[in-house]
Amino acid sequence: MNAPLIRNERFVQIAAPLLVGVLVLLMWQFTVMAFEVPKYLVPSPVDIGQSLVSDFPSLFNALLMTLKVTFLAFAIAVILGVAASLLFVQSKWIEISLFPYAVLMQVTPVVAIAPLIIIWVNDTTWALTICAVIVAIFPIISNTTLGLRSVDPNLLSMFRMYRASRWQELIRLRIPGALPYFFGGLRISSGLALIGAVVAEFVAGTGGARAGLAYMILQSGYNLQIPRMFAALLLITVTGILLFALMVWMSDRALRNWHESALKVEH
Amino acid sequence: MTANKVTPLNPEPDQEIMAGKAGAMTSRPVLQVDGVNKIYGNGTVALKGADLTVKQGEFVSLLGPSGCGKSTLLRIMAGLGEVTTGTVKWWEQDYGVVGSKGRKLAFVFQNATLMPWARVRKNVRLPLDLEHAGKSPEAERKIDDALGMVGLQGFDNSFPRELSGGMQMRASIARAMVTEPNLLLMDEPFGALDEMTRNRLNDDVLRLWKDKGWTIVFVTHSVYEAVYLSGRVVVMAARPGRIVDDISIEEPYPRSPDFRVSTEFAGYCRQVSRALERASAMGEDRDEESQS
Repeated sequence: MNAPLIRNERFVQIAAPLLVGVLVLLMWQFTVMAFEVPKYLVPSPVDIGQSLVSDFPSLFNALLMTLKVTFLAFAIAVILGVAASLLFVQSKWIEISLFPYAVLMQVTPVVAIAPLIIIWVNDTTWALTICAVIVAIFPIISNTTLGLRSVDPNLLSMFRMYRASRWQELIRLRIPGALPYFFGGLRISSGLALIGAVVAEFVAGTGGARAGLAYMILQSGYNLQIPRMFAALLLITVTGILLFALMVWMSDRALRNWHESALKVEH
Repeated sequence: MTANKVTPLNPEPDQEIMAGKAGAMTSRPVLQVDGVNKIYGNGTVALKGADLTVKQGEFVSLLGPSGCGKSTLLRIMAGLGEVTTGTVKWWEQDYGVVGSKGRKLAFVFQNATLMPWARVRKNVRLPLDLEHAGKSPEAERKIDDALGMVGLQGFDNSFPRELSGGMQMRASIARAMVTEPNLLLMDEPFGALDEMTRNRLNDDVLRLWKDKGWTIVFVTHSVYEAVYLSGRVVVMAARPGRIVDDISIEEPYPRSPDFRVSTEFAGYCRQVSRALERASAMGEDRDEESQS
């Protein structure tokens, strides 16, 4: 290809934010060095990198714990969320009766109920997972329910004219039509599962349970190991970005043939 | 809570009618609408005293200003909406007793109403799939025939978005054909298409109507389309929606594009336009807040 790289949309999409990131890191490093800011206040990117390497074994174990809780919670949120949505579309009465409780769960701050859950549930992993599920499940329920209801009324009329059963209506019409909404919910929910896991770890960590990256952050704070704190934070952020990218990729794969959100438009 | 308002309809036409020659009219009515009133929950009178009989092999157009209830009437004819008072009969039977096997009625919507996630072939196959008959060699033949008839051979594996508006409409017609209906109800199917495509599809529909021996009720906004296609143009007025005129178009079939530029065509168009103007004037006298 002879066209200059700057004209290549894909290259620009990756290179432009990367360039901004590198510039910010350079400025950060330069500022910290120029003003001789102590490590325990603001560590430089190089300090953080060093900590990432030297503390890798403990950081990696913490990361695995956080990932375990995140994925477990995300999977449970998807299964329960989709099941709840399927239940809601069966009848308006079920939805009217139960939906307020889904909202209730969404608006209750997980920080407030996490201590209770940690007391009630003996196993730390499960206690953390339950907290993360509570945070992550709502976007799945609300988006999928909306999707299952947003059916082209003419298509629905046609299905009924051909005497489709409720099962056929669900499998052939409502579920495929709801996929774009469902994937929208997944994108939000994946990030929330991670946030939920981290928040729950904080609460658990304060109570003495040793778990995950949040506990690592807490511990490093107590010990003024600020570079390690930043390294743990970095790992959480990277995990969140990778999770989001994975969801976008899955959504594009599933919808690329037909849905506007995944179509490549040529100008 | 009231039960589902939608009444599935699968009339089984009698053998005598089935044996009727393609396009030829017999005296047996396919559809009888008697004194049908439709009043919506908010009090809007969508249809008032609609009487209409459509006979086997007829091509009838419903023409009228916006809000005259022509789409409502067509949906009632499809069994997609309940009537407030009055009766509708298909093949001289009340739809309480015609819920038998066989898909003899098909509906074509204003837009193509295809499933965007399914390829053309799967879309066309849908009515057969819904009656668990989509996988047989017989079904494949019917789908091939339908796609061939509307000129979509080779587009089996395309997604609807990859097709032009006209081709999407063809796919929609193929889907209606695949059940081999006797009565085809079309709700402004070509309203969104450019004139060239619309004219070509009009000729295709006329050809299929004749070949297949369908009875067609066709809703349209266009006087020209109604005159070109129909044996009868039924004119409706708005507020409340009602039938005000029933004009015969005596021009014999098959009709060629030459008919469009003939003096007879111009004469019929004038006659229908005047009827439509009278119908519109009736509607304007009424309260503007009525349904749209």
